[in-house]
Amino acid sequence: MNALLSTFHLMNRGLREAMRQPGVELTNIFIPMFFFAVTVGAIGSVAGMAFGVDNFLAFQMPVAILQAVAGTSGSAGLGTVTDIERGYFDKLLLTPAPRISLLLGRLSADAVRAMGLTVLILLAGLAAGSGMEAGIIGIAAILVLTGLFGLAYSAIGMAIALRTGSPQAAQLSFLIFFPLLFLSPAFAPKEIFAGWLEFLATINPVTYILQGMRHLILEGWSWGSFAGALGSILGLGAFTMTMSFAALRWRTS
Amino acid sequence: MSTATAILAEGLVKHFTPEIRAVDGIDLSIEEGCIFGFLGPNGSGKTTTVRMLTTLLRPTAGRAEVGGLDVERQAGEVRRRIGVALQEAGLDDLQTGRELLHLQGRLYALDLGHVKRRASHLLDVVDLAQDADRAIKTYSGGMKRRLDLAAALMHEPKIVFLDEPTTGLDPISREAIWSEVRRLNADEKVTFFLTTQYLEEADRLADELAIMNHGHIVAEGTPQRLKAEIGTDVVTVRIERSEAERVRAAELLRGLDGSEDVRTLEDSVVVYIREGRRAIARIVLLLDESAIQVDEVSLTHPTLDDVFLRKTGQHIVDAATAAEADSS
Repeated sequence: MNALLSTFHLMNRGLREAMRQPGVELTNIFIPMFFFAVTVGAIGSVAGMAFGVDNFLAFQMPVAILQAVAGTSGSAGLGTVTDIERGYFDKLLLTPAPRISLLLGRLSADAVRAMGLTVLILLAGLAAGSGMEAGIIGIAAILVLTGLFGLAYSAIGMAIALRTGSPQAAQLSFLIFFPLLFLSPAFAPKEIFAGWLEFLATINPVTYILQGMRHLILEGWSWGSFAGALGSILGLGAFTMTMSFAALRWRTS
Repeated sequence: MSTATAILAEGLVKHFTPEIRAVDGIDLSIEEGCIFGFLGPNGSGKTTTVRMLTTLLRPTAGRAEVGGLDVERQAGEVRRRIGVALQEAGLDDLQTGRELLHLQGRLYALDLGHVKRRASHLLDVVDLAQDADRAIKTYSGGMKRRLDLAAALMHEPKIVFLDEPTTGLDPISREAIWSEVRRLNADEKVTFFLTTQYLEEADRLADELAIMNHGHIVAEGTPQRLKAEIGTDVVTVRIERSEAERVRAAELLRGLDGSEDVRTLEDSVVVYIREGRRAIARIVLLLDESAIQVDEVSLTHPTLDDVFLRKTGQHIVDAATAAEADSS
């Protein structure tokens, strides 16, 4: 119970922090929206002919969402480094709050921020005519996936921050996202990829998250696609949370 | 009636590497209700000791208890019982002072009503009520220190660690923190473990004192007893001309009647001598007869710096400078 309450209080603190730095959130939403608009504008009209995707706006919407989520993860690491540099992290370590809450508090705040940005991108996409075949359930499912992905992916920034205490290193998690994104069917279906790239896309968890979201938007509800996306996120999260805990143990040893 | 032990350390050691021996086997026994001063220059191992006693750092060897609880095996329970204000006021600049105290209280699982009342009370006590709803980034250094102290007291701990609480503060802010420490100690029987590099702070605030240098405790006792142990007055003779003259003067002054110890420093010779007032004339005469040019003579009663000098051969400020040079 104490762990849940402490996580809740620390999440509120993370959200207050975000609200007091609106410039950070504007950057996190501007970059994916810009790429979303430019990519759809450049390729959207030929995507149907080139690789059989008629609704390229809907096809690209999950890419923008994941970019926005990855952006929030960079600031999670940076926030933790700032706490370490100011000595506030020690202050938190000195409270009886369970260690897991110190991690989950900030990560949960990032998850909520990620969901907030997702709502904005969904609204923009729907307004531009993307459609949502799975309806309200699809929107809810995408928000769940986004929140969990935000939690899992932010843990990378948190682990780097705790291990290095360096603001530059803490933002690496955002950079790591780009190879993951480009080695997935972000801009075209993986069936048209060269063999080696198709193999890399097949073992890339981002592929299944994108496919799960796309299925909800373009085709409707599917337990299989949703489970694929959820399973990928949970697998990624298990790995990144283990890294974060190891980094926290190292810092407090 | 015997008093319980609030803080106990036995053979406490922290080595960061085989060469960096921050704390090298210290023993402490601090009674409940005591203001314990931990005096030493920068780099002497004070902060490392505090970090071990407050569960932030695991000892390399030895053991410690705080409030009767083992700091390694019962770390969570220790954290519940202590309040800590570390050397750098650890605050979150984006929160307001009141929000920071509220969060602190909630992390100790205090109910919201109690947290609000306690925060308002403490903001009054540390004279920040007017600024409580401003972002901490707008606070001065003194205000941040006072807020940090308030945060350390939110859950009404009976043992409080303050790591150099007044370093860098102006005299008014320093006095405010001293008086709050005294009040809490007198009214609420709070035990304080207070590290400092300021002699005056240790002298005026501490009931008991340990002096730390290079990871070792070099002296321990009440400030009065430590100073009384010197048992002499202190005559400082400034001789600027040369090192050779200072060495020669020291040799001569060692043979003076009543002289118990003589130390040669960078620009002076310090003589620990009984009845210093009467000895001054003899000192000046002796040096003059030996053609040693004296630039200045001063007589003082022993200070804690003299205790440090007597134990280590250095002034506390010089030791701090040497430690900084070693670490750079």
